[in-house]
Amino acid sequence: MEVADLPLSPSQRAKLISAGYTTLSSLSALSPPHLACDLNISEYEALEILRMVASQSSKTFGGTKAIVVGAQTAWDMLHEENFITRITTSCAELDNILGGGISCKEVTEIGGVPGIGKTQLGIQLAVNVQIPVDYGGLAGKAIYVDTEGSFLPERVFQIAEACIKDMVENSHFRRKDFQTCQDKLQPNAFLENIFYFRICSYTEQVALINYLDKFISEHKDVKIVIVDSVTFHFRQDFDDLALRTRVLGGLALKLMKVAQKFSLAVVLLNQVTTKFSEGSVCLALALGDSWSHACTNRIILYWDGNERYAYIDKSPSLRSASAPYSICGQGGNQISFTLQSCPEELIDQQDITIQQLGEKDIYVNYRFNVITGNLGQLNLVLACQFEGWREEQGGSVGQGTTAMRSSAHCSNAGSPLVGVRLPTFPASV
Amino acid sequence: MREGKQSDQCEPFAALTSSVAMPPLKDLEREFSEVDYNFQQFCASHGILSVEDFLVHDLNVLVAFAEQHPTSKELKQGITRILSIIDNHHQPWLNGMKLLEDALQNKHVLSTGCEGIDLLLQGGLREGQLTELVGPSSSGKTQICLEAASNVADKYMGAVMFLDTCNSFSPRRIACFLTRGVSPSSKEDKKRSLERVMSNIFIYSVFDIFALLGVLQQLECKWRSQVYTRDNQVKLLIIDSISSLITPILGGNGANGRSLMISAGLLLKKLAHEHSLSVLVTNHMVGGEGGALKPALGESWKSVPHVRILLSCDRGGNNLYYASLLKHPTVASGQAVRFMIEE
Repeated sequence: MEVADLPLSPSQRAKLISAGYTTLSSLSALSPPHLACDLNISEYEALEILRMVASQSSKTFGGTKAIVVGAQTAWDMLHEENFITRITTSCAELDNILGGGISCKEVTEIGGVPGIGKTQLGIQLAVNVQIPVDYGGLAGKAIYVDTEGSFLPERVFQIAEACIKDMVENSHFRRKDFQTCQDKLQPNAFLENIFYFRICSYTEQVALINYLDKFISEHKDVKIVIVDSVTFHFRQDFDDLALRTRVLGGLALKLMKVAQKFSLAVVLLNQVTTKFSEGSVCLALALGDSWSHACTNRIILYWDGNERYAYIDKSPSLRSASAPYSICGQGGNQISFTLQSCPEELIDQQDITIQQLGEKDIYVNYRFNVITGNLGQLNLVLACQFEGWREEQGGSVGQGTTAMRSSAHCSNAGSPLVGVRLPTFPASV
Repeated sequence: MREGKQSDQCEPFAALTSSVAMPPLKDLEREFSEVDYNFQQFCASHGILSVEDFLVHDLNVLVAFAEQHPTSKELKQGITRILSIIDNHHQPWLNGMKLLEDALQNKHVLSTGCEGIDLLLQGGLREGQLTELVGPSSSGKTQICLEAASNVADKYMGAVMFLDTCNSFSPRRIACFLTRGVSPSSKEDKKRSLERVMSNIFIYSVFDIFALLGVLQQLECKWRSQVYTRDNQVKLLIIDSISSLITPILGGNGANGRSLMISAGLLLKKLAHEHSLSVLVTNHMVGGEGGALKPALGESWKSVPHVRILLSCDRGGNNLYYASLLKHPTVASGQAVRFMIEE
């Protein structure tokens, strides 16, 4: 292997090559004082170089099954994917188009005009990552990197309170014991688990992202890194655009590496700028075309009339889709359903999906499996988590899997449902 | 040049087998008896201390001097020996017939699974060539890479190596490509065949150019030392995207970045030719004059890939994509196709 391909500083490389060391093998049996004397550098530097050379040569021999040491097969990754929990955004439609939420091990970029709710979404994610595992969250901590100064602790408190309220309501249906973890689920505890960094220049931003590796190795339960916003310090007073491209490219790679190495989600919030293309003016995300490959997924938030919409612009596995969302005072609305049988414990394998039909209509599809036969009368309860609303239906069922579909109508996409009509239960399966 | 330097204890030959090493003459003494002390003194008297000095010296003059020396026969043997060592270290000469044979027998065409791209390339990706997909963001580059990976692993019984720099490898999408259009068989069969194919796709994440060069060196070492017949040899190597590795180092005050980019490109082409595999890389676009987009990585990169395809997305929202051929060794460039990538 050539010395030219090693990760050394240019001056070190030049010194090595002019002294005649052009390959790894020529450096392998060398002692640090000897090298220091040959190159006219300090012994410490020579030791560093030789240590790095030793680590490189140890990598060249791998007789493992994988072609390259450390490679994974697609089959293993497919199974691993099932265990990756996603971070919910507290908005069912947005979660739907994202396939469940923001996924870990990926860098997601969210961009939009000012005032559309990027910071709110960032704060919501920082709170949602802390939801305990029992309630479908990751029980992790969050790192919030603030470049604009738009982080308000009061708002975080509000959102944390609303999240806890949601979990309390949820606990009735999941019959989880809320009392045991009540002390952990105070809004103050949520605030404590967010590591906040305030950045005032682009050099600080670069330094922080370089430091993230070390920080997260010490705080292994960090599961999300939010940068709000990644563009701010790169837009004004940056004369050398080539330098900006290089710095941003390096930043993007480091964030990707952190996301992959620690299996966490990275969310970058971006601003928009105007772009002239083919004579028309349109909005595009800031930082240019070369930043476009710095993220795995991209979501663009925009206004459509009076409503906010989210659009998936780039994703390797999700289809392009739009979803409406809204920001409410309490902090997030979650439309979700649970299915129970009455008498209880007679159905399992619940599968409830919500399908957005139009702007204000939804379908609730639910599938379940009846455990015992010969029931006669079995009541099904489809419950929605809005102010304790429940609806009951009765009918007779036999054994086997049953799939049902009901329709629901919303008066307003952001407010709680006013009513869900279930169809009459079939007489026989 | 390096008189005081310790030579490799284990293998002076290791120094020789690298393409650039020019060891001092006394390193060769252990292996080759003709290069003895007498010979070294003779050479030293003409200012020749290493193999490199030997090459730049005028050999006729040296031979003439050797004739006049009392031990002329041994000296001439020494000179011949050094020349033969040097001869062993360049690639063997090939003539056109041998190249054609190699092309017909070893360098097959791999279909990508995407009909539009196959049509454009008149068959598919050719082994031994470096193909580049360039396009703006969200124009289908990663999708075509995933589709090609799944198709090659499935139809050609070869391994696929996927070097991922932006965490965009999606196993779910691969499974989706593999199971579409397959006749309904039993669930067990389907699962088993999926496992067989997907275990042949290897993913490795690289986040800087040195890691990439390290991986390529590792592969080269491993393949060079293996026996000729190997089952499950790698047929396709994908790097998505190589431009994100090179952009942080390109430009600035040194030409370092550009040299690393070119050496990565040359190493890829060498691997492709010597081991009969196809290399697929993706590149993004940057703004050029007048606001038009042009491929990133500059003018020096343009000559590195054998085939360059320009992709763009039809913003009508119906999964239509356009591809046109920018450069190809045998097909006329400028042709364009329109195709669809399924959900």
